[in-house]
Amino acid sequence: MFSDLRYRLRALFRRSTVEQELDDELRFHLERQKNKYIASGMPPIEAARRVRIDFGATDSIKEECRDARGIRVFDEITRNVRYAGRTLARRPGFTTVVVLTLGFGIGANGAVFSALNAVVLRSLPFPDAQQLVTIEQYQPGAAQASTFVAPARVEDWHRLAGTFQAITGYFLDDLTETSGELPERVSQAWVAPRFFEVCSVAPDFGRIFTRDEERFGGPAVAIVSERFWKRRFGDTRTLRQRSVRIANRPVPIVGVMPSSFTFPDTDVDIWRPSPPDGPYAANRAATWFKTIGRLRPRVTADQAASDLNRVQAALGRQYPATDAKLAVRVTALKIATLGGISKSLWMLFASVSVLLLIACTNIASLLLARNAERRHEISIRFSLGASRAAVVRQLLTEALVLASFGSALGIGIAVAAFQVFRSLGAGLPRMMEIRLDWALVLYSLSCAVGASIAFGLFPAMRTAQAVARDANSHRRTETIATNRLQWTLVGIQVALSVTLLFGAGLLIRSFDRLARVPLGFDAARVLTFRISGNWGETIDMVALTRRMLATLDALRTTPGIAAAATTAAVPGVSFHYDTELQIIEAPADDTARITARDRFVSSGYFDALQIPVVAGSQCQDDATAPAAVVVNRAFERLYLKGRTAVGSHVQEIASRPMAPSATIIGVVGDAREEGLSEPVAPTIYWCNSAPNPTPVFLVRARADNAAGLADAIRRRVHEIEPGRAVYDLASLEQRLDDTLAENRLRTVLLTSFALTAISLAAIGLYGTLSYIVSMRRREIGLRIAMGALRRTTVLGFLKQGIGVTVAGCAAGVWLSVAMGRGLADMLYGVTALDRSTLAAVLTLVIAIGALASVWPAIRAARVDPIQVLREE
Amino acid sequence: MGDERLDLPQGTLDLLILRTLTPGPLHGWAISERIQQVSRDVLQVPQGSLYPALHRLERRGWISPQWGVSDNNRKAKYYALTRRGEKQLASETRSWRKLIDAVGLVLDMD
Repeated sequence: MFSDLRYRLRALFRRSTVEQELDDELRFHLERQKNKYIASGMPPIEAARRVRIDFGATDSIKEECRDARGIRVFDEITRNVRYAGRTLARRPGFTTVVVLTLGFGIGANGAVFSALNAVVLRSLPFPDAQQLVTIEQYQPGAAQASTFVAPARVEDWHRLAGTFQAITGYFLDDLTETSGELPERVSQAWVAPRFFEVCSVAPDFGRIFTRDEERFGGPAVAIVSERFWKRRFGDTRTLRQRSVRIANRPVPIVGVMPSSFTFPDTDVDIWRPSPPDGPYAANRAATWFKTIGRLRPRVTADQAASDLNRVQAALGRQYPATDAKLAVRVTALKIATLGGISKSLWMLFASVSVLLLIACTNIASLLLARNAERRHEISIRFSLGASRAAVVRQLLTEALVLASFGSALGIGIAVAAFQVFRSLGAGLPRMMEIRLDWALVLYSLSCAVGASIAFGLFPAMRTAQAVARDANSHRRTETIATNRLQWTLVGIQVALSVTLLFGAGLLIRSFDRLARVPLGFDAARVLTFRISGNWGETIDMVALTRRMLATLDALRTTPGIAAAATTAAVPGVSFHYDTELQIIEAPADDTARITARDRFVSSGYFDALQIPVVAGSQCQDDATAPAAVVVNRAFERLYLKGRTAVGSHVQEIASRPMAPSATIIGVVGDAREEGLSEPVAPTIYWCNSAPNPTPVFLVRARADNAAGLADAIRRRVHEIEPGRAVYDLASLEQRLDDTLAENRLRTVLLTSFALTAISLAAIGLYGTLSYIVSMRRREIGLRIAMGALRRTTVLGFLKQGIGVTVAGCAAGVWLSVAMGRGLADMLYGVTALDRSTLAAVLTLVIAIGALASVWPAIRAARVDPIQVLREE
Repeated sequence: MGDERLDLPQGTLDLLILRTLTPGPLHGWAISERIQQVSRDVLQVPQGSLYPALHRLERRGWISPQWGVSDNNRKAKYYALTRRGEKQLASETRSWRKLIDAVGLVLDMD
């Protein structure tokens, strides 16, 4: 009923106008009626009297008109809100505590909710993003971890798999773009046909690649990012005759992608087609493309996987040499993007919800105590004829008013907390997408409403009921019942705090273990960076290797640098590239499978990281040298079993049947190359200074100011190769630190939640005990007057406080078991039921409980009997 | 004259107000005057219930108010029948007639 709504809204929001109109209308009527009487010959005074008799009391008519307007409910609400505001303002201390408690509860909760929403719940920024999957090939049973797919196979999959709308692939490359004033390093994605169709994102302007351009020998074209376009061409939107310059050749730009499109990586500026039908792309053993696909509607990842595995089995019969052993894995793109972070965020969300629960419990017990103090006032309202429902509504309104202030504060706190997330979670997926949005506001408001019902309704009903029943007889039993209820609430808070503290304790211990893991290499004073290059250079591997060696030589002669090396992957950061080998000298009956972590390093690597060379020698400069490898002690111990390592030969057996054998030239100490939490695995270091065109450079500084070397390095590289840029520069310690981002995020946050929780519980305990002491002042005074020892009084209250704490702890231990189980796979070096952590937590909580009880207990003992009696 | 006056049966006030407004917009006082006049002083609108009734009808969207100038040059609130008010009047009139007829039948039985 639209007119009804409009009418009521007007009545509600234009109240004074509406009232004025009613007034005018009635006055007009009275006047006309009076004039009528006067016209019929009545004296004016008599006429006025008659009118009033006819009409009755104007006020009650007005009241009836207001009723007809249907806004009495709103009137009552307004009245209640005003009254609540006045009552709360009269107790600023109480109000502040409640609003702050609630604000922090809702704020922390809202912040984690926002993170969860942005990172986990919200879909990836593609249309129908749930249809997008990553596709990986692997060899069942073998440790070979390259999951990249040959171009020819991507085409076969796309052609043969019926569960997909399209399958495509991409790989990233660096190139030097020279259309600007200075050469610029640009990150580029080479994309297989159908890339933009799979992503389903259209260019801002221009078009995507044509089938012709995606074929070998087709016209060279590029699509660029909006950021790159702005940098080069400003605001113009005409594509005609615009091109990028790559390897001294202009490549026309056919489209500009919107800034929201950041796939496959945020720093990609150029997309170019990688034709699958070129002669160099024919090798089915090549591992080029990261592969993605778009499923047909209503197809699950599992169905797609079984379909693709069927296709792959057929390909295996067709190409037994390259395809027979391969299987296919299909993962939702979102899961592949997020990794473990979603579990961490859910854990944090659960914890922070427990915190909010504690906050609500705390406030509920505060309100309960406060309502008990207000019994007098409430019973007066009853005797003045207020219904029980009206009193409950009134008390609930107070809770709602508190809640809305709390949620306003909470939203502010949540927004401030985003900053914490971004800095703690730097490098984690999608962290930059966390922002203030309607979801957060709605969520906070519903938290506030839910919370105020949780903490407001219960005490309100209880109080109203108690006072109504009261009629002054059962006062004392009622007080005791209220106390019992309050103690239960305090116990719950203690139990939940123990749970959170235990979880935080486990994470802290595991983080501490992790930070103290002996790395086996020395990360201090080591700088890491890359130098621009592109995959085109891999056509001449010898030249590429020469370039690396020349750069290394230049770096080694730079003052302040003690050692320099290249490597395919940053040490200590997960790389996961396994290989399957055989040892040529091994007896023929030794059929044990040999798998090892593959790493590619140049000369000087073990110097730069100070990994000890145990036997033989380390890698030498290798432009034309015969293939050489270094193994770690774990490898030697596990696979060589007493044979002399140095001088033995190994051969890869995975996908390169023609691979030459390599000589083991040295054995080095075990190092945690795969990351802090990964145990040392048998590792083989291939002596290869140019495993790819942009390997990681490691430079060890002579003095402690490794960062100060950055400039010297840039200048030196510029001297020898002015066309190349140094980028991605960071200390090795920084990179190791980054690998702990997720771990640190959850540890820091859970710890702060746990500390807040125990503070709230302590406040709850203190507040409750203080309240009870103040309620029983008279009784205490009497007892003391009759000779009770003050010490006994103190002990009595202390026992009560500590008793509740201990009971809470007992329940908390039970909950902690569940907490530990939930955290189990986030722990390193501690068990999920770590006794010493639990013991420490319990000691801490009981100590805090005792501290919180001491002061009110002492205050009880200080009660002056004479004063109490005089107050009566 | 008091003797001939009748109290309005329950629920008929709304019907009378709507019918009175059919020729054109009127203000509250004029409505009550008109009802009294047309009914030859038999029907007397209880002054206390006229305005609540008007506000109720307005809320239901059957009449719409507008401020105008009265014949004695004063600002007055006029009520006009809306489209939905007309429909309501038609249906209420029908059921009223039906009621009268039915009551008549019962009263006239042998």
